[in-house]
Amino acid sequence: MNPLTALIFGISFLVIVFILFIPNNGLIPWLKRMKKNTEKELLEDILKYLYNSEYNNRKISFSALSKELKISHEYAGQLNQKLIQMNLVKIEQDNLVLTGEGKSYALRIIRIHRLWEKYLADHTSIKETEWHNLAETKEHELSSEETNRLAAKLGNPLHDPHGDPIPTDVGEMPVSKGILLTELTEGQFGRIIHIEDEPKEQYAQLIAMKLYPGMQIRIIERSDGKISIEADGEECRLAFMLAANITVIPLLDKEIIFETFISLSSIKQGESAEVISISNALRGQQRRRLLDLGIVPGTKITAQLKSLSGDPTAYEIRGASIALRKNQSDHIFIKKVETVV
Amino acid sequence: MIDKHTNEREAILISANKYRWDIGENLHDSIIEAIYKDAEIISSKVINRTGDKSKFDIDRFIDKIVTSKWSGFPLMFLILAVVFWLTITGANIPSGMIASVLIDQIHPWLKNAAVDLSIPFFISGVLIDGAYLAMAWVISVMLPPMAIFFPLFTLLEDFGYLPRVAFNMDSLYKKVGAHGKQALTMSMGFGCNAAGVIATRIIDSPRERLIAIITNNFSLCNGRWPTQILIASIFIGSLVPPALGGLFSAGAVVFIAVLGILFSLIISWGLSNSVLKGEASTFSLELPPYRPPRILQTLYTSLIDRTIFVLWRAVVFAVPAGIVIWLVANINIGDASIAEVFINWVDPFALFIGLNGVIILAYIIAIPANEIVIPTILMLTVLTAKISGVGGGSGVMFELENSADVALLLQTGGWTTLTGINLMLFSLLHNPCSTTIYTIYKETGSVRWTLISTLLPVVMGIIVCFFVTQIWRLIA
Repeated sequence: MNPLTALIFGISFLVIVFILFIPNNGLIPWLKRMKKNTEKELLEDILKYLYNSEYNNRKISFSALSKELKISHEYAGQLNQKLIQMNLVKIEQDNLVLTGEGKSYALRIIRIHRLWEKYLADHTSIKETEWHNLAETKEHELSSEETNRLAAKLGNPLHDPHGDPIPTDVGEMPVSKGILLTELTEGQFGRIIHIEDEPKEQYAQLIAMKLYPGMQIRIIERSDGKISIEADGEECRLAFMLAANITVIPLLDKEIIFETFISLSSIKQGESAEVISISNALRGQQRRRLLDLGIVPGTKITAQLKSLSGDPTAYEIRGASIALRKNQSDHIFIKKVETVV
Repeated sequence: MIDKHTNEREAILISANKYRWDIGENLHDSIIEAIYKDAEIISSKVINRTGDKSKFDIDRFIDKIVTSKWSGFPLMFLILAVVFWLTITGANIPSGMIASVLIDQIHPWLKNAAVDLSIPFFISGVLIDGAYLAMAWVISVMLPPMAIFFPLFTLLEDFGYLPRVAFNMDSLYKKVGAHGKQALTMSMGFGCNAAGVIATRIIDSPRERLIAIITNNFSLCNGRWPTQILIASIFIGSLVPPALGGLFSAGAVVFIAVLGILFSLIISWGLSNSVLKGEASTFSLELPPYRPPRILQTLYTSLIDRTIFVLWRAVVFAVPAGIVIWLVANINIGDASIAEVFINWVDPFALFIGLNGVIILAYIIAIPANEIVIPTILMLTVLTAKISGVGGGSGVMFELENSADVALLLQTGGWTTLTGINLMLFSLLHNPCSTTIYTIYKETGSVRWTLISTLLPVVMGIIVCFFVTQIWRLIA
């Protein structure tokens, strides 16, 4: 074959393979996604949607439903007929209401969804903006036996990484104690307990501001349409609409940590510090590893040595010399200690 | 009775569950914190600390030197260069000695004994020319370099230097989504990929460990250096005036090794952004205090744990492969041997990507060890080109003393400069040897990762050879 033709064939072959297989955007992953919308999944999505709406005291009509699930009005009607036949849904005053059975079915789906998000957060390094979508698929796939095994493997967690409670296998869920961030007054302290992961764009914005459940915040200022908060030593400005996606519990005086937050990465060689806490942004195995090394509140750490390229830095921790990367030491909060020479 | 107990248990479980909702998520943190607090109280009671730290801390002093911007990298390259030089030059002598005993003396003696005992040709061929010779070859070329490289490497590790290398290299590896310790497992791979794969146990993060395992094969191992040097001196060195030949071919070999490092970084990046994106990942690196290496213990453990262990696996695979090598050259289909039939069949494709059928077959049947690829290629070339008077007969691997003789033989077999270049590339980018493949399977416990680490380099090798060949033909 003429080498030029061969070259052209070779390059186009590589390009085609590349287009087919790029993760997420490739043709094959796309085809896999297209196959998904089966009837069972739609039925389960309806139940989940109804449950969430009831939890938030919203009333649901057919049209809202079909809009939410992106299906035609007639099809939504058909699916509802099915659910009513299966005795999972009933109609009360023109509104769709879950029956007891429907409620426990929905709770099972939610349980899988939240457990899977917890699994992704603790046992993989998949980005938090992708958890929800992956869990949306997974929730239709696991049997209840597999779910219980997953829960046991995770240590029967009670909250998903967004701070939402995970229903137990008998469908128990605690009542939410939190209030919306927008309900806090100026100067008040609170702890974030939940960040809503839908709509996706807003969730991504909140994640980009490095907010996470478990974080202590203080309202600096509330002005028209905007709310300023102090979070881990930095000021964040949020639109009210965005702030309403965050649930907090107000903190009592004795619970407030007053020290300003400095991260371990900010101390210089030879300086010492005392650990205050490890940020909840470090989860799962990463967090466990740091704890196992003895990085717990009160531990004294001295910065020892910088690598010749500047990162990582070696710290003296409990007599051992441990190198940590900047993206880890950024999330370890400390207060400085005078070095005794 | 039983009912009462179950009821009590249920009640306890229910109230425990209630508490869990109140305690919240960071239970694990609190437990560890409490454990450390207790441990501190106990240790402060029972441990007496006397004296202050001396003003001059030898560890910090050495650390300053090995991690300084000015001396860190030069020192690292110097130490690694010395280790490789000692391995390559130091291994030649014992290798030659073992080969002269196992191959030049015992092999003919066995053949004569077989003739004297009138053992049928077929059986003596399979057992002596096939199984025994492959085993002898693997031992003589693998044992000495490993017996030198592994103890040296372990001594550096024991002294405490290697963790500092990982510490210095980490930012580069972080960029490609890998762990700094991969610099160490990669260096170990230059000695032997199977040992390099075992060495990845030092990486405790699952994702980074898989990356290190899959990319280890891109380190040009001991078994491939001789191939590279021989082919470079025949085909690359001859392109320039004889005075520059040595320098030029040495440069070509170094280029291939550096290309391997480059590929390992690129593939690490690719893996951590695609198939391995979701695997869990953590980082921590302990810098242990320096201490004088325990030489005898190091010698013992590195010889037993690494050298003998890897060598044994290689021998186990070499014996059946030796039998296969002999059989394909000696069993005929029609009037040609299986080897010739296969070579003719695969030749059009092989020539298209700038290799030839002999090379492809050699890489398939010499899978137990890269060291026997060249002897197999020589034997197959003699077999297919119907050259008489060279080698020990069909199915008997051999090597030639003089590289000019090898050059002549290969050119008779239809080799060109392009074939030489592509063989060098393919020697870098092809499947790991069976010992390494088996080790990868043992370490990962997964067929999937084993398949990926086996097939990825071959596919890359074919693609790279294809493009090099087409571009070469376009220009030439």
